[in-house]
Amino acid sequence: MGLLRDWNYIERAVQIPALSEVIREALIRALFVRDDRVLPKDLIADLNRVPPVTVKVKDDGEVRKLVRVLNGEESTLSLGLSAEDYHYFRTQLGVGRTREFGAVVRPRTLLTYDWIVPEQRGVQLDFGGYAGIEFADGAHRAIAQVGATWKQLYDDGAAKGHAVPFVPTVPLDFAIGDALCGDAPFASYRGEFASYVNALRTISPFGHRARLGFEEVANNGTAYDLLHATVPLAAEFFIPVAVALRLEAKPAARKTLTYAFDDGAKLAAALDKLSRTSQTPSWVHITEAVAAKILRPAVASGAFTAQVTVGGSASGLAAKEKAIDTAMAGFTSKNAELPNPFDVPADGYRKSAEAVARSLFVGEVRVPAKSFGDFAGKVRTFGDQTAAKAGVYGSLRHTGIVSAFPFFAAPKDRSKVYDLSKGVRAIASRIPGTTFTSRLAHLWEEEAHFMRRMAFLRSLKLTIDTAHVVQPLVSP
Amino acid sequence: MASLDYAYRRLVNTLGPERVARSEFERMVYSHDFASLPKVALLQWKLYPDFVALPQTTEEVAALVKLSDESLLQLTPRGGGTGWYGGSVPNRGGVLVDMRKMNRVVAFDPDGRTVTVEAGMTWKDLEDFVDAKGFALPIVPVNAIGSTVGGSINSGSSGFGAPRGGSLRDAIALLQVVLPDGTLLKTASEADAGGHLANLTPLFFGAEGTLGIITEATLRIVPKPETSKAIAYAFPSLAAGARFLKEMVDVALVPYHATLASRDHFIFERALHPDSPDPADIALVAVQGSKDEVADQERTVDGLASKEAGAKLAPAVTDQLWRERYNNYSARRLSRGLVTSHNLVPVSRLPEAVETALEIRDKLKLNGAVQAFLVDSTTAALVPYVLMDDTRPSGGTALGFVKRMGDAAFKMDGHSMGLGLFLVFNLRKMHGRATSFISAVKVVFDPRKKINGGKTLEVWTKYPWPGLRAIPPPGMAVGLEIAAVLRRAKPTRDRFVRAYEHGKEE
Repeated sequence: MGLLRDWNYIERAVQIPALSEVIREALIRALFVRDDRVLPKDLIADLNRVPPVTVKVKDDGEVRKLVRVLNGEESTLSLGLSAEDYHYFRTQLGVGRTREFGAVVRPRTLLTYDWIVPEQRGVQLDFGGYAGIEFADGAHRAIAQVGATWKQLYDDGAAKGHAVPFVPTVPLDFAIGDALCGDAPFASYRGEFASYVNALRTISPFGHRARLGFEEVANNGTAYDLLHATVPLAAEFFIPVAVALRLEAKPAARKTLTYAFDDGAKLAAALDKLSRTSQTPSWVHITEAVAAKILRPAVASGAFTAQVTVGGSASGLAAKEKAIDTAMAGFTSKNAELPNPFDVPADGYRKSAEAVARSLFVGEVRVPAKSFGDFAGKVRTFGDQTAAKAGVYGSLRHTGIVSAFPFFAAPKDRSKVYDLSKGVRAIASRIPGTTFTSRLAHLWEEEAHFMRRMAFLRSLKLTIDTAHVVQPLVSP
Repeated sequence: MASLDYAYRRLVNTLGPERVARSEFERMVYSHDFASLPKVALLQWKLYPDFVALPQTTEEVAALVKLSDESLLQLTPRGGGTGWYGGSVPNRGGVLVDMRKMNRVVAFDPDGRTVTVEAGMTWKDLEDFVDAKGFALPIVPVNAIGSTVGGSINSGSSGFGAPRGGSLRDAIALLQVVLPDGTLLKTASEADAGGHLANLTPLFFGAEGTLGIITEATLRIVPKPETSKAIAYAFPSLAAGARFLKEMVDVALVPYHATLASRDHFIFERALHPDSPDPADIALVAVQGSKDEVADQERTVDGLASKEAGAKLAPAVTDQLWRERYNNYSARRLSRGLVTSHNLVPVSRLPEAVETALEIRDKLKLNGAVQAFLVDSTTAALVPYVLMDDTRPSGGTALGFVKRMGDAAFKMDGHSMGLGLFLVFNLRKMHGRATSFISAVKVVFDPRKKINGGKTLEVWTKYPWPGLRAIPPPGMAVGLEIAAVLRRAKPTRDRFVRAYEHGKEE
């Protein structure tokens, strides 16, 4: 995710006397949008620099070797590069000079925006070709290499009798690893992505294979649960190469119920009510009109659509449907035939993902279900005010919280992203119980306990990555 | 180091005389947890604390932590003392911090669906409170009657409701912890509805009180189910019962809880309570949902049970089993002591796991029973226990059972649970090369090893001298292995209960 590096950079920057005069938020803005009226030109040049070398990973052995080269344990000779590549590699990285360089994992698909401080002069790892998935025999577990796409996992799992419990709230063509080094919003009704991670196979900052957690069972009662503390930031502590995922059995019958609502308040009341029943649907996906139009251009939709997928025995499905119908009272129409965004052929999914990806996303807002209508309305108004047509994708959790992803039809330039993020933050702050959890929102946060937690995470990173190889922290 | 008398005066000044104890009897009570330990352990560790302190507020806990800088006495936090591996037992004396006086509900938020409680509250009390408010806890640890909120979080427990409600880790919204420097830390954002990136809560889940002292926990609560029903079946063998549990996962049925107990468990129960159910290998399943759903789930479970020749038990028996679900170890009264082994094994290997547990028990000529329950779609908890009498010379050798069971769990791609003072040798088996990452957490939070030092990652002894200060963890493993070998060489089987032996012959 790059959060620690960005946060560390800003923390250090505000200690520089010349910059401390600039208030923190203004500095974040200047860094984020690369504002050359505020920051020195050479600093902007540093921020805009991209990693000079990209390694397309085919095997984790290559990563191990590379890490050992980067932390000085092995010579570049051991990489076995051709003479031309060898020369390029050494000159680009400045091997032999005194500055540090590290490795950064590049997400396949980034929902929001790139980090403020890119890897300065190290190696970017592209795991696109490292995409195998292994399913366990007789158990509901998969080991997915980080380059494997979610859609591939979902489809292959279903073919082998498993149900992949989590889906991306914003249906983009994410790789599984994007939840570790990017911002893929995987979740189910009952849990976050991390709840389904049994273990991570990683390469340590010293080039060893290290497994965090247990591939076949839960990581309970084994001292500090570093695995779940670091899942969203894993790529800042180690280089994750594969994830052991907890799946579920494919139910005998499955149904997606689509409810249309003409009013946000009615939808919000229905979602709140549903989350207060003992129903456990696989997922509840919500779209307002703009999002629905992008996802299902051929289908006329109401102001809001909620799709609820339930599974169970064929005989039990009717009882579940009845209970969900009761909870979702207030809908204007119901459709049990409309396809959901996830159970479509891979080509169709990719095509729809391309359409979804054209919008500008600013990150996740956690909003109480009963306030979702209010939130969606405010986002729409804000979009109208800023001439950037707005919409929202969302998914309901059993906790009564909707994980909402507002988006805007606007060009993806950094200053626009920043300004829209600020607007969304202002909306979230006006709705009780709502939090904006984007990376920028974390950087804006100055609450004492939060700062302390981040400082602990930074210390932990520096203690684990003493070689400064995995996304090394950099100072201005 | 300040003198003990000085330290006592400082403690009394902080908490008052009624909440600081130093009598022999009180110190003895705190010198062990639920597990039985042979007296020989006193040669290695100073299991008796120098003082027992009973704080009532977070500020008092912080004051105790700051005081330890002055007295240089170790701090050992303790909840209900229902752990098994010495996590809440002193190894070098010092101050034992009994959290059970911090047992209040701090806040209840029905809209946000959270409850904030002090760490010393027992799960049963919390469950009753939440129930009275029309809500339920997503998960309730197995020893809910004695186990405290802080204690269970520190031991990384699982329990009732896990298949449906998820991990206890996910049920924690926020912890308030007194850190080793005496300051307070909130482990997640107070306004957090999940999704925050700087959430340190998982680091404290299973930390065995070695990173700081948890004083408050904000837990998620769920609406009370419309209908709940418990159903029980008797199976011809334990393996058949285990296959039944596995089948439930394979047909995507998500019960509230599904547990299995071996026939021996009910023989012990019968010896103590004549009205307990007839001894058999019994599975107890609880389902939740709407009335129609519960009826449908019951039909599915009936079908799965009949495939394994399971006979449905009468509702009165089932109700009794459900009522008594938190009383799992009354057999302890038969033998004066009891040793439990907590392990997680893959659900797919549960039938093999329960048979292995019985095999190890029989090889070591122990009296004991096997219990297991579903944790999630990949994981089952395997919790066999054996009886022991630590007043007999052969008593302590029963501890070898824990080592053998843990090894068996690792062989089945699972792991044992808990490290504490006695099972630290499993740390490297658990985490391999990632052990150094795990150790880094302690370095960051408690570099001076002030809180519950010498546990979880290393084994301190009571001796301060170089060379004797700590035991290499593999040394503990060798000791327990020798215990297992001696146990196996014992010519006779334990005979704690005649009824038990009689039942076996039938």
